[in-house]
Amino acid sequence: MTVIFPSPEWLQILEEKLNTDKQYAEIARNWEGDMCVDIIPSGPITQRIIYYLDLWHGKCRKTEIYTETPVNKPKFLLTATYQDIARIMKGELDPMQAMMTRKLQVHGSLAYMMRNVPTVLDFVRCCRDITTEVIS
Amino acid sequence: MQPILKINLSTGDISEVKIPEDWERDYLGGASLAARMLYPSLTKELDPFSPKSPLLFLNGPLTGTAGPAVGRFVVCGKSPATGLWAESNCGGFWGPELRFCGFDGIWIEGKADRPVYLSINDNHVEIRDASKVWGMDTYESQTFIKNESGIPGTRVLTIGPAGENGILFAGFICDHGRAAGRTGLGAVAGAKYLKAIAVRGSKKVPIAEPTLFAALRSASNRALKNDNMSRVFHDLGTASVADYADYLGAMPKKYYSSGIFEGVDKVSGSTMAETILTGTSACHACVIACGRVVSLSDGVKRKGPEYETLAGFGPNILNSDLASITRMGELCDRNGMDTISAGNIIGFAFHLFDKGIITSKDTGGAILKWGDIEIVERLLGMIVRREGIGNFLARGSREFGRRFNAEDEAVQVNDLEVPYHDPRGFSGMALVYATSPRGACHNQSDYFTVDLGQADSSLGMQYYPRHAGREKARNVARHQDWRTIFNAMVMCTFANVPVNDIVDLVNAVCGYSWDTEDLFLSGERAWNLKRMINIRMGLTQVNDKLPKALLEPYQKGGSAGYVPPFSEMLAEYYAVRGWDAVTGKPSKEILAKLGLEWIALES
Repeated sequence: MTVIFPSPEWLQILEEKLNTDKQYAEIARNWEGDMCVDIIPSGPITQRIIYYLDLWHGKCRKTEIYTETPVNKPKFLLTATYQDIARIMKGELDPMQAMMTRKLQVHGSLAYMMRNVPTVLDFVRCCRDITTEVIS
Repeated sequence: MQPILKINLSTGDISEVKIPEDWERDYLGGASLAARMLYPSLTKELDPFSPKSPLLFLNGPLTGTAGPAVGRFVVCGKSPATGLWAESNCGGFWGPELRFCGFDGIWIEGKADRPVYLSINDNHVEIRDASKVWGMDTYESQTFIKNESGIPGTRVLTIGPAGENGILFAGFICDHGRAAGRTGLGAVAGAKYLKAIAVRGSKKVPIAEPTLFAALRSASNRALKNDNMSRVFHDLGTASVADYADYLGAMPKKYYSSGIFEGVDKVSGSTMAETILTGTSACHACVIACGRVVSLSDGVKRKGPEYETLAGFGPNILNSDLASITRMGELCDRNGMDTISAGNIIGFAFHLFDKGIITSKDTGGAILKWGDIEIVERLLGMIVRREGIGNFLARGSREFGRRFNAEDEAVQVNDLEVPYHDPRGFSGMALVYATSPRGACHNQSDYFTVDLGQADSSLGMQYYPRHAGREKARNVARHQDWRTIFNAMVMCTFANVPVNDIVDLVNAVCGYSWDTEDLFLSGERAWNLKRMINIRMGLTQVNDKLPKALLEPYQKGGSAGYVPPFSEMLAEYYAVRGWDAVTGKPSKEILAKLGLEWIALES
């Protein structure tokens, strides 16, 4: 099956993956918090895309797609250009590297984030696992 | 560049020294320029405690400006701990204030005939009696001297009882616990009867292109303030990395012998933020403010521990109590002792006791039980007073181990105790510790940040997994050169400022037209100069090694089963550096490339 990033189908399959992946369920068992991934247009993507994921104790309770920041502020907001997000999806850019070299901006409780880096990294693994094609 | 103040404590002579322009340009400032200035003085025969032994305090070209995290100075000389090159830099407000006096540094030599302190108020320089201050801790000393000066805004850099008593890991303290802790130069000051240096200035820092610089530093500070890592350090301090470092098996426990510790999640920047943190503190003009202000049960506001203190007096000795870690950090600061070495050495004593190599007969009856903070406090006091076993601990871990035929058990490199970033968790640190010019040091390259992900392609570095081997040797060398530039500027390594910004800032302040490679050439030049200084003081290829403990795998934890392939990494590193594979000396070609032919001709 072809799963193209970014697309509504991709987000739907990611939700299913997060709800069935045993490793993610274990690592993220204590995670409590929703998240927006704000994709800034660059390269082939000309419109802003915001993916919303409600993540709770190793499961994904809800996903949405927005074109503007939602009124209810999520616990975490991750912002990057499409090209950098695409490199993360393709495994060309490590997510920690992106965060530490100003390619991925993180807003939210940093105390919580630093305690839960393994959860964030496993979330990215799930994203990569389902992605078969990245628009370039 | 402003002149350097030169003071001979034996004769009382005070003079000014102008730095040759080509030295300024070749070495930039700070530790790099200090290496060039001190090169003729630092010989194998020089006794670090002799009157001839120099102490050189230097600023960088941006110190005292409102540039990004540049309010630091460095102190350099010959280390009494290692017998090698010594440098230790420090934040706070003292360095900028010295520049406001119209001096870019102070060169101290000689030995006073009684305790003294220096008072520098703009151009007015005095050597004052310090007999009333001698014996005071570093906070008392600052308060006393500030009151005696009567000049508001005076900044004081001081040693504590550890420096007075010749403890080989004594340093300097200014402001509220800002430390130039490593390599024992506080003991060199103590040997000179120099208690403190008070500074108060009113002059402007020279800037070649002030309008351009103002725009650049403003943009750079704005970007730095919004940087992820800056916000992590602001919110959680440098101990922010503790949770993740533990997960990766990169935070040593039980004196580098265990990959796990049950109470580890109680000691982190996150836990501190959620429990005892009441505020933050910043060095001069810094937008990060990584300093912690905490409140314990007595309600007194104190400096909270940074990562090294937290790890050293925490998991390293199997202690999970943040309050006691805070108190041990304060005890070290007040006495003017490096917390990295102090924590390491006390962990070493526990380790040897655990193995039965030392017993209660050696400790004056004390039972060294892991996690017993009362014993730790008692040992720290004995070290400062050089009392009983403390007198031997005061000489550093290798010497302590040697006394009990257990030198190999000491986790040190070239007599400097290893900090708390484990090469089994971050393999790049293996090369960093082994080849650092001042012994095991994470400030000559905090390569663990690169192994965590801070591999910036604009620095000419690639990203490698944290357990990659020889392939990362070029990266390590490049990062060492990068941090040598920071140590020349003197800039805080917590400031994640892009290289292009730094080039622009340097050019605007110094009036240069450098590019990135000019900047890196300056770093590589100083790295090799320090190497040549050490070779002249007796360092050989044999010194480039790791202690036994770091080459034994952990049984459990995030790095279980792994040890860095050190020999092959080092061989590749020599090749990348252009150092001889057998002797470890920089080749004549490398020295020539770096404009260091004059050393090649001498050696």
